[in-house]
Amino acid sequence: MNLDELQRRFAASVCGTREPGDFDTRGMRVYANNYRGQLVTTLRDIHAKTRLWLGDETFDIQAERYVDAHAPSSWTIDAYGHAFPDMLEAAYPKDPDVSELAWLDGALHQVFGGADAQAIDATALVADDWERIEFVFVPSVRFRRMRSNAVAIWKALAEETMPPASVELKAMGGVRVWRRGLSPQFASMEAHECDCLDLALTGATFGEICQLLGRWHGPGSVAAEAGTLLRAWVGDGLLLRLRQG
Amino acid sequence: MATGLLPEYVMPSQSLPAFHGFGLGLRVPHYADFIATQQPVDFVEVISENFMVDGGRPLDIIDRVRERYRVALHGVSMNLGSVDEVDIDYLRRLRALARRVDPLWISDHVSWTGVDGFNSHDLLPLPYTEEALDTLAANVAIAQDVLGRALVLENPSTYLAFADSMMTEAAFLSALCERTGCYLLLDVNNIYVSATNHGLSPDDWLDGLPLERVRQVHLAGHSQGRDMLIDTHDAPVPDPVWQLYARFASRLGHVATMIERDDHIPPLGELLAELQRAREIATSATRRAA
Repeated sequence: MNLDELQRRFAASVCGTREPGDFDTRGMRVYANNYRGQLVTTLRDIHAKTRLWLGDETFDIQAERYVDAHAPSSWTIDAYGHAFPDMLEAAYPKDPDVSELAWLDGALHQVFGGADAQAIDATALVADDWERIEFVFVPSVRFRRMRSNAVAIWKALAEETMPPASVELKAMGGVRVWRRGLSPQFASMEAHECDCLDLALTGATFGEICQLLGRWHGPGSVAAEAGTLLRAWVGDGLLLRLRQG
Repeated sequence: MATGLLPEYVMPSQSLPAFHGFGLGLRVPHYADFIATQQPVDFVEVISENFMVDGGRPLDIIDRVRERYRVALHGVSMNLGSVDEVDIDYLRRLRALARRVDPLWISDHVSWTGVDGFNSHDLLPLPYTEEALDTLAANVAIAQDVLGRALVLENPSTYLAFADSMMTEAAFLSALCERTGCYLLLDVNNIYVSATNHGLSPDDWLDGLPLERVRQVHLAGHSQGRDMLIDTHDAPVPDPVWQLYARFASRLGHVATMIERDDHIPPLGELLAELQRAREIATSATRRAA
C-alpha cells in the first residue's frame, strides 16, 4: 500500500467511516478514541453554557452526533463546531433557546482572538452629508436574530443564578457580539436594531437606515431613534469609522 | 503528493544555536503566575496554534510573557508527514507569530494530522519507509523555507506499527535530519510509551541518532489504557520516565529540558518541583559524564 492510500484508509478508520481492517485494531482504537474524545471536549469547552443548559448527558449525545457528521478541516481546533448551533436547531425545532445559546457560546469564543481595532468615540461622528454616510464596524461584530430568551438564560448561567424558563419572544429580537479591548461583549437587540445592523453591515447608508427606522417608528421619530441607535453603537465600541458612500 | 515538489531540498541557511536551560509548557491556569512574577524557569514553551490568532487576549498574553521569558513555539498542526502539501497559509500565520515572539525555535512533530483537507487534530503515525521519508522531508523543506529557519521535530507516541516499515524510528529521524537540516525534540515519555507499546527497549532508542541535533527534551506523564500506554500528558512524570531520562541525560549533555503537562494541570509549584528534579538529574548526569 502506498503512503497516499495508507493515509486515506487510516483517516477513514480514525473517523469511523471505515473498518480498521488494514491496521492493528487495538492501536486504531486508541487513535479513534483520541479523535472523538478531543472533538467532544472541544465542543464542551466552546459551548459551556449550552452544556449546562442541556445537561452533560444530553449535550454529549448531541456532540457525538455532530462529530459523526462533521469531520474537522481547519488547522485550528477552535474553528470546530461552527455548524453545531444549526444541528441543534434541527434537533430541537420547538426549543430555539438551545441553538441560540450555542450560537452565543460560539460567537463569544470566536471574537476572543479576533482582529484588534480601535473603535471611534462620539467626537468622530462628524460628516458633511449624513445621508450618504456608511458605517464601518470593528471586525469582531456579528449578530443573530433570536426567537427565545436565550440571552437572559446565558447571563443567568454565567452568573450561576437560577436561569429563567425558556420562553419564545413575542417579537423576535436579537443579540450582537463584539470585542471591546480584550473582552468579548454581547447585548440584546430589539427587532428594529437587528434590521438596522443587518442593513448597516451590508453597506447601507445612514439615509437608508433612517428610511427603515421611519417604517418601524413613523417619520416623526426617525431622528430620535437614529440618534439612540448611533449613541448605542458608538458607546458600545462597535464603530471603526464613518465612510462617505 | 509533496514528494518531488522541490528539485532539491533547501537546507536552512543558519544553524540553530543550542540553548541550555529548564522550562515549562505554559498553560492557561498559569498565565497570570508567569506574567505577574518572574518564575524560576529559563524558558517557556507555548502551543503555537493558541497564539496564531488575529488579535485579542492571546496576543496580549504572549507579548507580556515574552517580556519576561524566552519562548519556544511548539505546534501540533503542521501536518508535515501528510501526502497533502503543507498548508502555506498556516505557515504564514506561524511566521507572523515568530516575528512577534522571536522564539528560541519552532517545533512540531514527526507525524501527520490529516489528508485531503481532513484534520484529525491528533498526531498520527508514519510508516518508516523511504516513501514516507521523502514526503516528510519535502514538507519539512518547504516549511523551513517559508519560516526561514530550521525546524525542531519531535518523536510522537505511537499505538500501532506498520508492516511496511523498513527502518527504526531513530534511523528514520537520523535520515530526516540529514536530508533537511532539521533538529530534534526528544520526548522521553513518548519514547517510553512507544517502546513499551511495541515491545521494544527504550534504552536502545538513542542508538544511531545524531545526538548533536537534539535541541530540546520533553518530560511528561502517561496513563495505562485498556491495551497499551496512552500519551495523555495528564500526570506527573512517572518513575520509569525519570529513570530513562537519567540514563539519557549523560549522553545528551546540556540540552533545553522541560516538563510538559497538557491536562489535569496542577498548581504551578508542583510543576516547578518536577522541573527541579530534572535539573538535579541533568546536573548529576553531566557531572558523571565529565
